[in-house]
Amino acid sequence: MLIMSRRQGETILIGEDIEIVIAHIGRSRVKVGIRAPRQMLVVAQEIKLVGEENRAAAQAPSAPVLQAILAQLLPGPHTFSGRSDEGSVRQDAEDKN
Amino acid sequence: MPETETTNFGTISFARESVFEFPHGLPGFEERRKFLPVQNPLTAPILFLQSLDEPSLCFTTLPIWVVDPHYRLHVTEQDLEILGFPADRQPRIGDEVLCLAVLAIRKTGTTANLLAPVVVNLKTYQAVQAVSPETGYSHQHPLFSQEATAC
Repeated sequence: MLIMSRRQGETILIGEDIEIVIAHIGRSRVKVGIRAPRQMLVVAQEIKLVGEENRAAAQAPSAPVLQAILAQLLPGPHTFSGRSDEGSVRQDAEDKN
Repeated sequence: MPETETTNFGTISFARESVFEFPHGLPGFEERRKFLPVQNPLTAPILFLQSLDEPSLCFTTLPIWVVDPHYRLHVTEQDLEILGFPADRQPRIGDEVLCLAVLAIRKTGTTANLLAPVVVNLKTYQAVQAVSPETGYSHQHPLFSQEATAC
């Protein structure tokens, strides 16, 4: 990996079309400005990870798999907070109807 | 009452007011904007998010505090704006927002995406999948400890 040292306000060029500006350097994060052709997708790496994870999660599981998950979930210590959260959804849905 | 065809639940009728609206879709599904929360009493507290645009698209979710009772929500300013909340504080789970962890069920085990919870404004039903890298949460948080995993 190429490592370059840059100060705030300085720019890095990639090829002819891509410009990366170090816009602001804070204590634990930097703000980076990116100028790139419109057709080029620019996203934070986490967005790509979440997209891949969503694609892996995009189908409802079969009934036996669901039951296996629930069997492990329900005797657990966290059931109460789940129920209370669920209750608030249901109540809200009723309010609206 | 409108109806929708679904792969998992057959034909279901629903109230328009109960639809979650994701103005920007979800990462990987940017064009899928409308999801219906579906709950089966037999599988509660699991909540399914059924796409109204794509019959086979259905996410399996759990209220985030079922997965991690100490979960702390961190929604970015942009996402707060989409949800219609002021930028100066985090919304309260259960009171102002519904916060759901999306489950990925694989042969190796079930994981919950704590990096990017689905957050729904309980008044307006506007929703985002709030990617929050600063929190350090994993996108593949194991739902159960290794030895307890059955699937």
